Amino acid sequence: MIRMIKSMPLYLLAIIILIVMGLPFVIMLLTSFKGQMEFMTSPWSIPESFSLDNYLLLVELEFFGYFVNSLIVAVVSVVIVIIISAMASYPLARLKFRLNRPIFILFMVGMMIPIHTTLVPIFILTNKMGLYDSLIGLIGPYIAFALPISVVIFTQFMRDIPKELEESAKIDGCSHLRLFWNIIFPLLTPAVATVAIYNFIHIWNEFIFALVLTNSSQNATLPIGLREFYGEFSVNIPGIMAALTLGSLPLLLVYFIAQEKIVTGLAAGSVKG
Amino acid sequence: MNRSQEVSLDTVRSGVRKKKKNKDTWAIIGFIAPAFIIYGVYVIYSIFMTFYYSMFDWTGIDANMVFLGLENYVRLFQDGVFWTSIQNNFLLVIASLFTQLPIGLIMALLLFSPIKGMRLFRSVYFMPFLMSTVAIGILFIFIYEGNYGLLNAVLGAIGLESLQTAWIGKESTAIWAVIATVCWQFAPFYMILFRATIVGIPEELYEAADIDGASGWQRFKSITLPLLMPIIITSAILSVIGSLKYFDLIYVMTGGGPNNSTELMATYMYKQTFTNFNMGYGSSISFSMFIIALIVTVFILLGDRSRRGNE
Amino acid sequence: MFNKKLLWMMLAAILLIFAACGPSDSADTEDTPDNSTEDTATETEEGSEDNEMEAESEEATLTLWHIETGPSEEAIETAVQRFEENNPNVTVEVSQQENDPYKSQLSVAMGGGNPPDIFHSWGGGWLKQFVDSDQVVDITDSVDASIYNEAALSVSTFDDQIYGAPVSMDVVPVFYNKDMFEEYGLEEPETYQDLLDIVQTLTDNDVTPFALANQTKWTGSFYLMYLAERIGGPELFNEAFERSGRTFDDEAYVEAGSKIQELVDMGAFPEGVNGMNYDTGQSRQMLYTESAAMMTMGGWLVNNVRDEMPEFEEKLGFFLFPSVEGGEGAKNHVVGGVSPVFSVAQQSEHPEIAAELVNELASLETATEMSNNAGSISAVNGVEYEDSYIQEMSELLESSEAMQTYYDQTLPPELAQVHLDTTQALFGLSTTPEEAMAEVEASAQEVIEE
Repeated sequence: MIRMIKSMPLYLLAIIILIVMGLPFVIMLLTSFKGQMEFMTSPWSIPESFSLDNYLLLVELEFFGYFVNSLIVAVVSVVIVIIISAMASYPLARLKFRLNRPIFILFMVGMMIPIHTTLVPIFILTNKMGLYDSLIGLIGPYIAFALPISVVIFTQFMRDIPKELEESAKIDGCSHLRLFWNIIFPLLTPAVATVAIYNFIHIWNEFIFALVLTNSSQNATLPIGLREFYGEFSVNIPGIMAALTLGSLPLLLVYFIAQEKIVTGLAAGSVKG
Repeated sequence: MNRSQEVSLDTVRSGVRKKKKNKDTWAIIGFIAPAFIIYGVYVIYSIFMTFYYSMFDWTGIDANMVFLGLENYVRLFQDGVFWTSIQNNFLLVIASLFTQLPIGLIMALLLFSPIKGMRLFRSVYFMPFLMSTVAIGILFIFIYEGNYGLLNAVLGAIGLESLQTAWIGKESTAIWAVIATVCWQFAPFYMILFRATIVGIPEELYEAADIDGASGWQRFKSITLPLLMPIIITSAILSVIGSLKYFDLIYVMTGGGPNNSTELMATYMYKQTFTNFNMGYGSSISFSMFIIALIVTVFILLGDRSRRGNE
Repeated sequence: MFNKKLLWMMLAAILLIFAACGPSDSADTEDTPDNSTEDTATETEEGSEDNEMEAESEEATLTLWHIETGPSEEAIETAVQRFEENNPNVTVEVSQQENDPYKSQLSVAMGGGNPPDIFHSWGGGWLKQFVDSDQVVDITDSVDASIYNEAALSVSTFDDQIYGAPVSMDVVPVFYNKDMFEEYGLEEPETYQDLLDIVQTLTDNDVTPFALANQTKWTGSFYLMYLAERIGGPELFNEAFERSGRTFDDEAYVEAGSKIQELVDMGAFPEGVNGMNYDTGQSRQMLYTESAAMMTMGGWLVNNVRDEMPEFEEKLGFFLFPSVEGGEGAKNHVVGGVSPVFSVAQQSEHPEIAAELVNELASLETATEMSNNAGSISAVNGVEYEDSYIQEMSELLESSEAMQTYYDQTLPPELAQVHLDTTQALFGLSTTPEEAMAEVEASAQEVIEE
C-alpha cells in the first residue's frame, strides 16, 4: 500500500506522458474510420459508425503492392546497413590505426549534408547505373544515407564493451572476423535493435528519393502510393489516415520484436560480466 | 582508454610485429570497405557535387552553367531570409537539445521504474516516432488550428482561454508550434537510445550501490548518468545535426510561412532550388549547412574531449 | 603507411566515379552555343544515331507525366487508349504524379537528363523556365492553333511560338452560401461597397465572411489580383510584367494592398488565416460547417464539394468579384487559368510522335470528356456542355472582356514567389502595402529586366 502511494507521482507522470505521446496516434486511428464529410464537419469526435470504407478503398487501390515494395526496400536496406555498418564500426571502435579518427569523421560528415541538393547528382548516378525506376535503385541511396548514423551508434556502443573479452580470444589466435562475429556482434543487441528501428522507420516513411528515383506504380513505395488520395487541390484525409494506420503496423511489429530482443539480450548480456 | 595497450602488446615480440600489422591492416580494410564504398559512391560523391554546383549560376534544368566562384556565398551572406532561417535553425537546435534529450531520458527511466503495464507504456511512448511525417503534419495543422483546433479546445476546457490563438497562423507563435511538434516526434528516438544503453549497465553496479543504501537519485547520479554520458554526447550530436538540416514538418505544416517566419535553412534551400530554379544558389545554402553542422560537431567533440580530460 | 595507401586508392576510385558521372555527360546535351539551334531533339540526344536509323513505323515508347485525378485522369487515359489504337506501334507509359512534389520531380528529371516525353504544366512562367532552358519542343507546326481558346493558348505561347497545348481552363468567381445570404437578407454585390456591407453584416452576426486558407498563398493572391484589376484596369498587370508603363509598385497595387488589409481589419477572414491550408480542406471546412459564408476560389471548388460533401452543392452560388467605384476595371473581367497544358520535352527520342500524342490529349474529344465529367471549362472550342454548372462558368468566361491569368503561374517562378510571400505578409499585417509592392517591383527589376 505504501509502495502504491509512493509510486503515485510516478504513475501520474507516466500517464500524462502516455496521453501526450499517444493521443495523435489515436486520432489518426479514429479518423481512418470516418468519411470525408464527417471529418470536415467534426474532426475531433468519435466516429459515428466505425466504417471500414477507407480500408476497403485501400484494397481497391491495390495498396498491397506498395506495401510489399516498401517492405522489400526497408528489410533489404536495414539488414545490409546493420551488417556493413557494424563491420565498419568494429575497427573504428576497437582497433588503433592512424586513419581511425579521420575515417570516423568522414562517416559522420555524411549526416550533415541535406539530401535535397543531392537529388540531381543521385538521379544522374542512378540513371547511369541503369537502376532508374527500380527497387534496387532506391536501396543504394537508402543504405548509403543510413550509414553515418548507424556507424556512429555502433561505434559508440562497441567502445563500451570491456576490452578483456577479446583479449582472451586474441590469445587463442582468433581471427578478427570470428572475434567480431562470435563475440562482439552478439553483445550489440541493444544497438542493433536501435539502429534497426531507426532506419526501418526512416526508410519506411522516406518520400523524396522514392519520388525522383522511381516512376511507375509497380515500383512505388507506400509514401508515394499516398498520392492516390491527393486531388489537385484536396486531400482525402481519412483515406490517408487509413493507409498510414495500416502502414504503421509493420513498424510497431519491428519495434516490438526489437524491444523484446533487448530484454532477452539483457539476459544473455548479463553473462558477460 | 586502453586502446593503446594493443599496440604495446605487439611490441613485445617485434619479430611477429610486421606480420601482425599486415594482418590488421587487411582486416581493417576488409571491415570498412563495404560500407565505405557504398558510402563513397552516394554520399561523398553528393557532397562533392553539391560544392561543385554551388560555384555556378545554374537553374538545375539546363546545360547553361556559368562559373561564379564563391559569388553565391557572398550573396548568401547578404540574404536576410537566410539569416532568419539560421536563427530559426538555432532555435530548433537549442529547443531540441533541451527538450528531446531530457524527455527522452525521463521516458527511458520511467520504463525502468517499478510501474505496471510496462508493455503499454513502452509501446505508446514510442508512437510519435513511428508515425509518418505526413500524418503528423496533417493532424497538427488541425490541432493548432485557431477556430476549432484541439489545442485551443483543451486550453478552453482548463480555463486558459486567454492563451488561445491561431498557433501556426501567427508569425510570433508559428515557429514554436512547429518546434514543439518536432521535439514531440523525436523524443522517443532518444528514449530508445538511452534505454538500449541503460539495459547494458551491469546489474552488479546497482547491487553494490544498494548495499551502500543509496537512494534512487544517488543511484542515478553516481552510476547511470556517468555511464550514459558517452551516449548523451552522441545523442547531442545527432540532435544538433538533425536540427540543423531539419525539413519535413516545416514543409508539411507551414511551408516556411507565414512571411518566412518559420523558414529553416533546408526549406529555404528547397525553395531556391526547386521553386525558384536556383540550383547553384540552393547548393551554396546546402553546403553552408554542411559547414555549419561540421563546425558545431567539432566543437561538441572538442568539448567532450576536454570533459574527459578533466575527469 | 600501407593502409593509408590503400585508402587513397579507394578515394581515387570514388573520384573516378565522380568523373564518369558528372553532369556534363547527361544534363549538358548541348554544351556549345552553335549546337543549341533547336532543330530536332534527336540530334542532341545521346544515342541519337540509333534512333535516326529507325523508321517512323518502328516501335516507340513514350512516357507521359500528368497530375490529373479522378474523372480527368480517366479522360487522359481514354485519350491515350485512342492514341495507342491509332498508332499500334507506340506504347505510352502514363504516370500520374502528385501536384505539389511534381514540380521538383520534373526539375530533377529534366536536369538529370531523363525527363518524360510529354509533361504537364500550367503554361506561364513555369513552362517558360523550361523553354528558356531549351528543354521544350516548339510544336507550332504540329498543332492546329485555331481550335483553341485564344486566352488558353496564350499561356503556352512565347515569342509567337507554341510550346504546349491546353486542355481545360478555370475561372475564379466568389462562391457563397445561398441559404446564409437569404438568412441575413443579403444579395449578390454589384459594387465593392456592397461587398463591404455584406462583410459588415456577416461579422455582426459572428459569421466569418470569407473562408480563406492562406498558408497555401495562391488562395490569398486571388484577392490581390481582383482588387488590382478592378482598381487599375486589365492592362495594369501586363504593363508591369512587360515593363511598358505602370509598374508593380503602382498606386493601384498599393491601394489593392491596403484594401486587403482593410478587409483583414474588418475581420473578413478567419483567425490565423496564414496558417490554414487549402489542400487539407481547412477553409472548405468553414464553408461546410456554415461558419463562413463566402470563398473566392477557382471553379474546382465544385469538384472538392462533390467529393467531400455533395449535398452542399445546392447551397452554392457564385458571383464575380464586384467592381470598385472609380476604378478602371469592370465587373466582367475574370481571373482564371489553364490546366493542364501538355508539352513535349526536348530530350524526347520521338518528338514527332510525342507531338501527335499532345494533339490527342488536347483534342475536342478529350476536352469534352474532361469538361463533362470533371467540371472544368474546355480550352478547346466547340464543346457542348452537359453540366449546367460548367455551362454557366463557361458563359461567364465567354462574356468576360478580359481574362487575367494567375500571377503566380504567369510570372517567372522567382518573382511569383515574391508576389506570393508579400501578399501573404499583407494578410498577416506584417508589412505595409507600400513595402510589399516595392519588394515585388524590386524583384521584377532583377528577374525580368536582367
